[in-house]
Order: sequence, then structure tokens, then C-alpha cells
Amino acid sequence: MSRDGKTFSTDQWVSKVLAAVLLGVVLVCGLMGVVGVLSHTDGSPRSASGQYLMWMAALVWSMLLSVCFLFRSGRQAWGGLSVASAVVWGLFFVLRSVLA
Amino acid sequence: MKLRADFVQLYRDVHSWVGIIAGLFLFVAFYAGAVTMFEEPLQSWASAPVALPLPVSLERTPELLQKALAAHPEVRTDYTIAVTPEDAQRGRLTWDGSGGQVHHAPTQVMAAGLDAEGNLVVVPKTPSDAARFVDVLHQQVGLPLPHTPAMILMGIVALLYAIALVSGVIAYLPALVKTLFAVRLGQSVRKRWLDLHNLLGLFSLPFHLVMAISSVVFAFHGQIFALEHLLFPAPVAGQHGGMRGGGHDGEHGGGPRPDPASGSGVHGVMRTGGGERASPASVKENSSAAAAESAVVSSHEGASRVSRVETSSAAVPAQLPVLAPTDILALVTRQAPGFVPEVLNYMQLGHGKDVVRVFGYDARYPTRGPTGGFMVLNSRTGAVQSGEYMPGHQPAKFAILTSFFALHFGSFGGAPVRWGYVVLGLAGAFLFYTGNQLWIVSRRRRERQSGVVVETRGTRLLAALTTGCTTGCVAGISAVFCAVPVLPFGGTYGAVSAVYYSVFCLFVGAAFCLPGQRGIRLLLGAAGVVTACVPLMLCLHGAHLLRTPEGLGVAGMAALLSAFLFAGAVKHTREI
Repeated sequence: MSRDGKTFSTDQWVSKVLAAVLLGVVLVCGLMGVVGVLSHTDGSPRSASGQYLMWMAALVWSMLLSVCFLFRSGRQAWGGLSVASAVVWGLFFVLRSVLA
Repeated sequence: MKLRADFVQLYRDVHSWVGIIAGLFLFVAFYAGAVTMFEEPLQSWASAPVALPLPVSLERTPELLQKALAAHPEVRTDYTIAVTPEDAQRGRLTWDGSGGQVHHAPTQVMAAGLDAEGNLVVVPKTPSDAARFVDVLHQQVGLPLPHTPAMILMGIVALLYAIALVSGVIAYLPALVKTLFAVRLGQSVRKRWLDLHNLLGLFSLPFHLVMAISSVVFAFHGQIFALEHLLFPAPVAGQHGGMRGGGHDGEHGGGPRPDPASGSGVHGVMRTGGGERASPASVKENSSAAAAESAVVSSHEGASRVSRVETSSAAVPAQLPVLAPTDILALVTRQAPGFVPEVLNYMQLGHGKDVVRVFGYDARYPTRGPTGGFMVLNSRTGAVQSGEYMPGHQPAKFAILTSFFALHFGSFGGAPVRWGYVVLGLAGAFLFYTGNQLWIVSRRRRERQSGVVVETRGTRLLAALTTGCTTGCVAGISAVFCAVPVLPFGGTYGAVSAVYYSVFCLFVGAAFCLPGQRGIRLLLGAAGVVTACVPLMLCLHGAHLLRTPEGLGVAGMAALLSAFLFAGAVKHTREI
């Protein structure tokens, strides 16, 4: 990231954090879907897989909030996370239709 | 390790702002959390003795049960037998006397015994809420709010805490390695706070990482499970997964925990309190252990709920009788040697699905709850129905999940680990205090360098808040335990929270009225005095507690802490 000489800063942090909070939920939810479909979970809090998914969601969301400041701008944060969410959700629907 | 300067600066900024927002909440959470490691001994110390004759032996318990059920047939659906002699002092047989209907009033627990002539005696139990109050304070990061908004705010604080940890590691680790053990006590105040903060932070980093992630889970597990429920609709129509099922079933009878009162009840897998125990929200409370547990129960119960009324009112169907406590204990001992049963909770679910939940612990294994796990047996056949939360008998995938919870509660490895958690908890609280002090001192220095003579309002505000909230929290919790002997019933929830929050507000108010060095010293000293009263109260009002190692530990810890506060009062200096 240092190639173009851009520096990291807390500029536009509101936008970056909002992206990580709101789109983060969408992304994490999609990720739970993908991993859940692959592991054939039924999503019940009683099952081990349901509980592992919950821990994964908490971990990924916290990490996402911690690294969202590395986006160069708020717009880039929203763009990047939107793309990632779309990919993950697309994968979820594909996997679900294939595996279900 | 060489990191780019702007990268490091970015995370320094993030660390200081996130830290300053969450720091004081985290201080309260960690300090109260350290105190909750003593929740059980404090609870039994604070609770007034139950006015019952000497408890009947376990062998005679069926006789007691028979008489109690004859007098109170509704008890049949859910009652609890205390196994250990200490718990039995507070009633061998207990049940929830509010019928699970009252949602926000304290649950009325009834305890029963037999007098010398063999007559049934039933008395209400009114345990002290002091220890439970501290636990709720811990869970709600000190906020006097209803459960749901408090959990959301707690979750936000937990997320900020996670960000603060990551940013702290990135920003300071490279520089830290160089100056690891150098605590520059003699040099400037700022450097001293910085070195202490770094040292504490680095050495308790794994503990803090565990706490941060598990707190996020505790705060948001309901929402996450609801999302999962939407993502993966249950394939079988009859199977109601998800929080919703668990919650409602809890309300309808799965809810009340065994023996909520004496502290041993909460043994359970959760620390929810008696106050809201019957509410659906509380079934979800504190950790998904609760959720999982209610789900375990609900899955047994679900199919039979419709017919429940019929079974409980109609004559007992021609089937096996419910096994006596001694039979259940013999079965448990055979199935799981090493498991120490403490509480038996019988529940009538009908359709041959009547269960008994055996709560207890096994010193060799981590446990899901703060003090134990449980197994579910069929109360008529004795067949094991669920060992998913049974220490040492869990399938590997559940054992791993249990270890996440055990790492939060310190419920593994016995007394040494519990003591370690007390120290880590107090060190954590001190870490946040040093963080705030560091922020204030650095700001003051910067302001002075830029030629400002009077410190800005922000610095003043934060300095007062830091002093007020931290000393107020310590003094408030100490005041609660000093007040226990003089409060009726060892302190109802309302009385105890009134004591805590009035002391807390007094300290915060005083911190604003008395800015400057003298104010800080005064407040530190005052907190030290209140804390020093705790061991005195323990000696005066509960010599029996001091005969246990935990009791001695509490008294010793409080004495040490007050000495530390006095030292702080003498040494504290505002200089830069």
C-alpha cells in the first residue's frame, strides 16, 4: 500500500467505521451462511456447529472493525466491503442451491 | 520489526480514542468481575439463615417430598433438591413459589423441611442480592439499565475493547520489545504510567483477548442466533430451534433455575439472577450457556408442551415412579465417577420425558458455567439424555466450546486458576486506570507545551470522571458488603443498588467539586477507608466465612486493596 505514497490516517473514520459496522454485519452474515452451508448446520443454538458459527461471527466482526481504518478512504471502505459482501452472499446462494 | 510510521501513528490514535471511550466502563466490568470470583461465598455469607428445622437426610427426602407434593401439588412440575450439606442448610427441597408468572419482580423461592415430629414446614427464602448485584454490575459494565439496552451497550464496549487490544498491540508492540522490563519509576510521571500500562497490557494480553471476544459473544449471541435461524430454517417442522423457542419454553416452565436462592443454585450454568429469572430475557442472559441450556430443556419439552396440562392435572399415568435422589446420585456416581453432584432439579415434562438435571462439577475438567456443568437424566428410567454440558463427558466439539466459556469464567484448574483470575481481573482494572491517567497526563503536557496555562475543559472533565468513577466503583462495591449486615434480608436488589449508586454518585460528584491533587488523594483515601471496613465486617458478622479459604482470601484481598488505595492516596501526584 505504500507504493503510491498514500499514508494511513484516521481521516474519514466515521465513514470507515460505519462501513465496518453495517456492511460488516452483512458480510459476516454471508460468511456464516457459507461456512454453515458447507458444514451442514441447522443453525440451532443447541448444535455445536451453530455455536461455532456464532463465535466465528463475533471474531470476524471484531477483527473487521479493527482493520477498517486501513482503507484509504471512507468510499473505498464502503466499496471494498460491498464487493466482499456481494461475493460472499453470491457464494452462499450458489452453495445452497448446489448442496441443498 | 519495522512498521511504517504512519501505520503506527494511525493505530496510536485509534488506541487512545477507543481506550478513552471504553476505559471507565471496562474498569467497572473488570473490578466487579474480579469480585464475582467470590460470588458464592459472599452470597452465602450475606444471606440470612433460613428458618427451617435441621435438614432431613437424603434418604428421608422422599418422605419430605411426598408430604410437600401432597400439600402443594403444583410443585410436581419443577422442584429442586439440594445435595451438599451446606446447600441443604438453606432447604433440602426448594421450588419457585411465584409459579413462573411474575416477570420482573424477584422470584419467590419456597424452601421446605420436616420438623422433629415429621410435619411439613414451608418457609419463603429471601437470599441476599448483594453478590448477584455485583455480578449484574459486571455484566452490564456498571450501567443501571434494563437488561436489553445494557447488553447492547456492553456489546459496543466489548467491540471497542477488541479494537483497543488490536490497535494497542500493533502500535506499541514494536517499540515495547525494546523497553519491556524498564519501568521508569524515577522518571517523569507520564513515563511511569506508560511503562506500567505496557507491562500490564503485554503480560495479560491473552486474558484480555479471551475476555474481549467472549464478551462480544455474550452481548450479541441472541441476535447472532436469530440471524442463524433465518439463514438456516430448521428442516423439520416440529423442531423449533433458535432462541425464540428456547426463550418461550423457558417462560413456560423451563425457566426457573434450580434453587435460585442460596447461591448454590446459580451454580448452574448461568449466573442469571433470581430477580428476572422467570422472564424470557433472563433465560438468554449471560452467555449462550443459558441459551444452550434452555434449548436442551426445551427440546425435551417442546413436543410435550401441549399435553402438559393434561398430564400434570390428571392422575399420574401408570408408569415408573420418579427415582429418589439417592438412586439418582448412585446412578450418577456409576456413570461419572469424579463428578460431584450439588443440585438435582426435577422437571415433569410428561410423555415419559420427565427429567432430572444434575448440576455439579468435576475438578478435573473445565466447566461451561462459572461453577459447574450439568447432565440430564430421565427421572423415571435413569437413562442419560444429555451429557453435552457434562464436564468430562462432552463430545470433543462441545468440550472445545466449553473451554471458551471456562476461559472467561476461570472455571478450570481449581482454586489456583480462580485466584489467578482475581489477580488478572484486578490488574485489568488497573490497566484501564493507567490508560486513562496516561491520556490525561499526555494531554496536559501537550497543552502546557503549547502555552495553555489553564487546562482545557476536556482534560478537566476526563480527569474528574476517571477519579470519580474508579474510586466510586471500588468504594461502592465495598459499601455494599459493609451494608449487608444492617440491611433487611441481607440486602434486596433495590436496597443494594441504592447503596452502590449513591456511593458511586457521591464519589463522582466529589471528583467534580474537588479537582486537583487534594481531591484525588481524598477520594483514594476515602475508597481505602470503605474497603478497609469490609474485612472488619466479615470478622464481626461472619466468622464462619473466615474459616474457609475463600473467606480468608476475600478478607485478605480487601485489606491489601485498601492498603494499595492508601498508598495511592499518599503517593499520588499530578505532576507531569
